[in-house]
Amino acid sequence: MENYSKEKYPLDSFLITIIVALIAISCFTLYTLQDFLPGDISGIKFSIRQIIWFLVGSMGVAAIMILDFDWYRKIAWGIYGFGVFLLAGLFFLPWSSTLNGATRWYEIAGQTIQPSEFMKVFFVVGLAHMITSHNEKWTKKNLTYDLVLLAKLLAMSLPPFVLIALQPDLGSALVIVSITGFLTLISGIRWRTLLTIFGLAFGTLAVIVVLYLTNTERFIALLMDSPFDHVAYRIQAWQNPHLYSDGSAMQAIKSMLAIGSGQLFGKGIMGFEVYIPERHTDMIFTAVAEQFGFIGASVVIVLYFLMIYRIIKIALDSKDPFGTYLCVGMVGLFSYQIFQNIGMSVQLLPLTGIPLPFLSYGGTSLLVYMAAIGLVLNIHSRKREFMFESEQ
Amino acid sequence: MGKNKKQKSHLPLRLNILFFIIFLLFSGLILQLGVVQILFGMDAQEELDRTERVTSATPVPRGKMYDRNGELVVDNKAEFAITYTPKKHVQPEDNVEIAEKLTEYIQMDTDSVTKRNKQDYWIIKNKQEAYERLTDEEKELSDQDQYYVMLENITDDELESFTEKELEVMAIKRELDKAYELTPHIIQYDDITVEEYMVIGENLHNLPGINVTTDWERDYLFEGTFANYLGRITSQQQGIPQTDEQYFLARNYSRNDRVGRSGIEKEYELYLNGNKEIKEHITDSSGTVIDSNIIREGQRGKDLILSVDMELQQRLDKIVQEEVKTAVQKHPGKNRWFRHAVAVLMNPKTGEVLATSGQQYNPSEKGEDEFTDVSHKVLYDTYLPGSTVKGATVLAGLDSGEIRPGEVIVDRPLEIKGSDKKSSWTRLGPVNDIDAIKRSSNVYMFFIAMQMGGENNYQPGKAINYNSKAYTEMRNYFQQFGLGAKTGIDFPYEENMEASPPTGYGRAAQFLDMAIGQYENYTAIQLAQYISTIANDGYRMKPYLVKQIHNSSKGDQLGPLYKVNEPTILNKIEMKDTYLNRVQEGMRQAFQESGGTGYRYFADAEYNPAGKTGTAEAFYWDNETKTLHTDVNNYNLVGYAPFDEPEVAFAVMAPYLGTGDYPVHHRIGRRALDTYFELKEERLKGSSEDESGEESEEDQSEDE
Repeated sequence: MENYSKEKYPLDSFLITIIVALIAISCFTLYTLQDFLPGDISGIKFSIRQIIWFLVGSMGVAAIMILDFDWYRKIAWGIYGFGVFLLAGLFFLPWSSTLNGATRWYEIAGQTIQPSEFMKVFFVVGLAHMITSHNEKWTKKNLTYDLVLLAKLLAMSLPPFVLIALQPDLGSALVIVSITGFLTLISGIRWRTLLTIFGLAFGTLAVIVVLYLTNTERFIALLMDSPFDHVAYRIQAWQNPHLYSDGSAMQAIKSMLAIGSGQLFGKGIMGFEVYIPERHTDMIFTAVAEQFGFIGASVVIVLYFLMIYRIIKIALDSKDPFGTYLCVGMVGLFSYQIFQNIGMSVQLLPLTGIPLPFLSYGGTSLLVYMAAIGLVLNIHSRKREFMFESEQ
Repeated sequence: MGKNKKQKSHLPLRLNILFFIIFLLFSGLILQLGVVQILFGMDAQEELDRTERVTSATPVPRGKMYDRNGELVVDNKAEFAITYTPKKHVQPEDNVEIAEKLTEYIQMDTDSVTKRNKQDYWIIKNKQEAYERLTDEEKELSDQDQYYVMLENITDDELESFTEKELEVMAIKRELDKAYELTPHIIQYDDITVEEYMVIGENLHNLPGINVTTDWERDYLFEGTFANYLGRITSQQQGIPQTDEQYFLARNYSRNDRVGRSGIEKEYELYLNGNKEIKEHITDSSGTVIDSNIIREGQRGKDLILSVDMELQQRLDKIVQEEVKTAVQKHPGKNRWFRHAVAVLMNPKTGEVLATSGQQYNPSEKGEDEFTDVSHKVLYDTYLPGSTVKGATVLAGLDSGEIRPGEVIVDRPLEIKGSDKKSSWTRLGPVNDIDAIKRSSNVYMFFIAMQMGGENNYQPGKAINYNSKAYTEMRNYFQQFGLGAKTGIDFPYEENMEASPPTGYGRAAQFLDMAIGQYENYTAIQLAQYISTIANDGYRMKPYLVKQIHNSSKGDQLGPLYKVNEPTILNKIEMKDTYLNRVQEGMRQAFQESGGTGYRYFADAEYNPAGKTGTAEAFYWDNETKTLHTDVNNYNLVGYAPFDEPEVAFAVMAPYLGTGDYPVHHRIGRRALDTYFELKEERLKGSSEDESGEESEEDQSEDE
């Protein structure tokens, strides 16, 4: 029996090891960065705080694992609605605060809370629930099935996307897009429809890229008119960082300098030569790459890859489609954030303010990612139960 | 469950596709990482190692000035100063931040804050607001145009609503903004208290770029004495004068450098200025200074030894003051237009200016100073010279052959058609060339002029011939003595009146007036050069104020000699020495022989003086009442001593006197010479008592 109970709720030590390793790298990097941070925040011991947040997050993981993940379907609509409400509330609730021209935060009792971070997980749960329910109702797959599901996907992703994009926070809005895209792929929509949709999406994207490349100035001017003028700046700064050597372009140049000069083996612990703003949060990857070079940076990327591999594995093993969708949603969340964050550090993508999961310092975001991992672990721990049941 | 199974069938494939996509993306990341770190890693490291060299220049104190006896005249005073050295790529926001911190420690006068300062400050503080006020079209403008629109969008109320503290921040920021990257800029130049200095010194760690240091300020030890000649320098706020901007910038000056603005400070600017300390800063690509090296040690400006004797200068000023005051007080009515006199003493053999004075007496009780130093008038103002120029006229007559040495002419009033009766001050009877100078015969001069003009047969009541070439000839003679020519003094400015040749019906009479100093105006320095030329046997010397230039030294001792302003002969009078000797003799007799015009005042002088008096019929334009007054004369005196071996020459001009009853020109001239020789005596005694063995300039000729 003892053996059975252990088997009943097995923890995925592989995934946990990876997460702990990432947190360890985060704390160590934050510790080495301490002396290189700007004066006004250099007194804050970020590594200690990160550990505390991790411990708090671990308790959150435990709490999340108590209930069967199936139970979360019951509250899926509730938390999705709550998340959207919080996002909308930024525009009228009194606690919302504006910083550097962006309205992203609530300021309550001196703490800032970023609802879009929570929304990422709420959105995954909501979307996974919707797809599962849809598939439960529609047994026969045809065009109607596809279109109705697509319409539902669109209807659910649009409100958070628009609300986040209006903050403006394009980085987080694209996380929503990424989650939706990944879930659309595995939602059950037939290939022909899917290919049409993705074909159209890529086609549009291609047209936009061609337009940009051929009519750069008019394209940028058009963007400048829209509420996404900051996007235009980012794109320009990304394309020609040396022409815009202030603000974000400066950050891109310095990030490239830091990472590049790390070369194969890095400069060793605390071998920082480049000053980069926000290095303890969004730009933390540069700290790893500068200290430990290509080897160290690759280790981090491989760790992330293993983490995603593991989550996909759990998705495959889950006998409950809801669990699969949840996992894939999380994959969409993590893989986009990782790819975007590291991609912007190596100038593969334009700069957007988006944290690197588990490595970047940040209380809210760490809690959210821990919650996401909690859900994945929950799914993993329940897979045997289903297998057992189905075998019977 | 079967339902589930059926549904899930598509999942493994799609998850694998998903996984494959992610694999591709992450491979892309590692690939790009490889490109960045391995392929271009070296480049990045090189870029990082690429250092930039930036130089900065720190101003050094100016050179000092000493008088001819080694007395310090102009010094530098050390002062507390706060400097600001901006980092590279400093932003306006950075300066606001520092200014905000500085306001806690220093008091800044906010009067200098302009509207634009307020506008800039407002935008820095309300960036978002300023941007939101732009219309959509305006947002398309270039950054610079946008900024101008932003400036206009600020309401007056917003500009008025600043607190005193904020205004102070603006005033300090204004100062900080003047600083150039990596180059120390002195802020809050005046009135920094020791307390402020100390507090800032203790809080330097809070104030990036701020430092406390000492600065220098010019210290004029003799205050007003000779100040017009020493000149002044610009303040740091004024910087280099805009009119000469290119000149200075080409010589490595900064815009806020203090430069000579007038006088010797200006004339010798390039020597006094010194070499700035040049530092080279090595910065990395982020602009952080890694290392600083001194490329060139700063060198204080070169020191000047003036030709002036400050003791003599002070005494001369006093003499002129006293005499002018007495003349005014004795005849307040007649001398109502007389207010000032000028005097200059120079060494006739070298041209060294020994003292130069101009003092104006202000008798009114309006609370102004009793005296105003108008010594610049020695160089700047021209007056009718009167008979003082007769030496030149006689030499012109002798050299041109119009008169022979010793030629006698009967001095009597001349009647020339078309002119007033022309006569000497009294009917002198027969006079030769020497007497003509001794007793100041106008008629003798008129005959010289008439003959030069081509009239060899004067008959009373008839018109005289006049060939206008005579004017050119006479002027040429005069100019050889410096009359009507620039003296060449080492000073930024000197006046030289360009008179036009006599024209019209009375031109012959006007030419006759020229011969007695009633036609062209001259400055006192021109007269001094003229008498020096006669004293110096016909060698016209260039007057100068600076004798030597010395390299700066660390201590109080003078540094090694850098340059000597050698006496410069401008020209030699081209005529026989015997002619010159006759004029010299005439001047000796004028002062020393009974009947001489200066005899009464110089007969008992022991130093063997010679000279010439001159009274010019002048006119005074009263600017207040807009009336011309012709009842005034200029009383002038030129002279030198000792006669055989002249070492001092002088010119005194006392314009617009109503009466010569109080002989202010003679009294100034006599007392000036007396003082000169007294001082020489004192110095001689002093140095022989000291047995220092040092021979001063005056010691070299010891006849008296």
